[in-house]
Amino acid sequence: MQLYLPIAELPLNLFLLLGMGGAIGFISGLFGVGGGFLLTPLLIFVGVPAPVAVATSAAHIAASSVTGALTYWRRNALDLKLGTVLTIGGLLGTLAGVFFFNQMRRLGHLDLVITLAYVTLLMSVGCLMFVESIGAMLRQKAGKASPIRKAGDHVWYEKLPLTMRFPRSKMSTSVIPLAALGLVIGFIGTVLGIGGGFLVVPALIYFFRVPTSIVVGTSLFQILVTMIVATLLHAIVSQAVDVLLALTLVVGGVIGAQFGTRTGQALKGEQFRLLLAMLILIVGIRFALDLVAAPADRFSINATELER
Amino acid sequence: MRRWLALAVVALCAGSDARAEELVLALSTREVAITSTYTGAEVTVFGHIERDARTIARTGEYDIVAQVQGPTGEVVLHRKGRFGFIWLTESRRRYSKVPLYFSILSAKPLASIIDEDGRQRLKLGLEHFLPAPTPELEERDEFGFRNALLRLRREEGALTENEKGVTMIRPNLFTARIVLPAKAPTGLYLVNISILSEGVPLRTAQAGFVVRKVGFDAFVANAARNEAVSYGLFTVLMAILLGWMANVVFRKD
Repeated sequence: MQLYLPIAELPLNLFLLLGMGGAIGFISGLFGVGGGFLLTPLLIFVGVPAPVAVATSAAHIAASSVTGALTYWRRNALDLKLGTVLTIGGLLGTLAGVFFFNQMRRLGHLDLVITLAYVTLLMSVGCLMFVESIGAMLRQKAGKASPIRKAGDHVWYEKLPLTMRFPRSKMSTSVIPLAALGLVIGFIGTVLGIGGGFLVVPALIYFFRVPTSIVVGTSLFQILVTMIVATLLHAIVSQAVDVLLALTLVVGGVIGAQFGTRTGQALKGEQFRLLLAMLILIVGIRFALDLVAAPADRFSINATELER
Repeated sequence: MRRWLALAVVALCAGSDARAEELVLALSTREVAITSTYTGAEVTVFGHIERDARTIARTGEYDIVAQVQGPTGEVVLHRKGRFGFIWLTESRRRYSKVPLYFSILSAKPLASIIDEDGRQRLKLGLEHFLPAPTPELEERDEFGFRNALLRLRREEGALTENEKGVTMIRPNLFTARIVLPAKAPTGLYLVNISILSEGVPLRTAQAGFVVRKVGFDAFVANAARNEAVSYGLFTVLMAILLGWMANVVFRKD
């Protein structure tokens, strides 16, 4: 069944859209990532103009993170305090990112910076997580207990001033590194046009040793706030949010996210990290291939716009 | 609905004594409505070549060439180049005032209707959808870009040439079938029809139709542009509400 999308200005199959929304929603609920880095390219692939794809993905991510975050909240697996600190840092980072984005665009090297940064980031985070989680799984098989965190065992950045206790995450740490993490992620996310969930999750796990189950819920909360702001900004500034496209994706997405959260809760920490590492690596490799492989066609139409 | 003969559009009066033929056109519709079920459309042009006692006698049959030009817009073309071992966009061109839909319909190949010179003079042919290159743009690069633009727009279905798009029902009665793709832009479409005989252009007539969003789609498009804040808030609320509903529906614990 074809459905004409009023802002994207093309008809697409309704069931294709529901299915795409559902699949990305599942991944979002499972890993606590937004899924924008998967959905946006998919939408562009089926013919949706790039600005509409970016703007409408934001609405989809907001919806799947609401449903995911609520599930984690009900299971007491969401650290609201931690999420709020990250979000405040994240919003500041977004502002800095928008500024940097416009400065770089004026200099004209944005494409190169974005593509190289994206590939480097995905590949390095993916590789590190992959190696670590395999190591953890092997250690467990050999019968050695994975190192358990002792109370009062703090890394230097956790000992900075402005200490705050996060009982849900079983940690007390300085607010400074957390807000800085939020800021960096918000900044990178804005410049690269992604939510940054795939960076928040490993960072919280490795740098702050927050339990995996709580990381996912907290990351979903932070993504939710960021994406609500992003959807509004896109609707006002670029006017490229397609409400009908959003509706179909969201309906698929919220259902997929429900199944994702359920599956996620049943996974062990190492399994979770291995799967997420593989997902990040696959996306990284795809982008790297795009860069290295000779294009089939050197020319491409980047945008067509009606004069109104 | 659009099969209905809507309006006879143009009948140009002859100028000289020894009369040339007159051309009367009618379109199957004056408005193509885009609704939620729109997946492309067809517009048929009906044409009648009128002659009377004073019209010059012709030995050959008539040839019809219909040129359809959609609303204009801007197209940005990128070209990738090699930097070390990676491929990146090395240069780009911006073409403005380019028709976002352009098609040429005839009953047989254009080349057998009129020769190269005539096509140039009458601006018949797909290559005329772009304005002629100015001398300062006539570099080696520019050719590559123009050819790529023609090729890519053709692949997208925005640029078509149909040698069977015109059907001669009688020697002086014809129909031309205009096929609009699903991605056809909204706006005014101009249909330019020429009759030729043995390579000589006899008469040209114009007609037009509009493609526009109606009903729900028009409402959404207007809201997104004119009520951006409420539209954005509505989208966000819808997303949150649906997320919450799914959570309630699927709740087991």
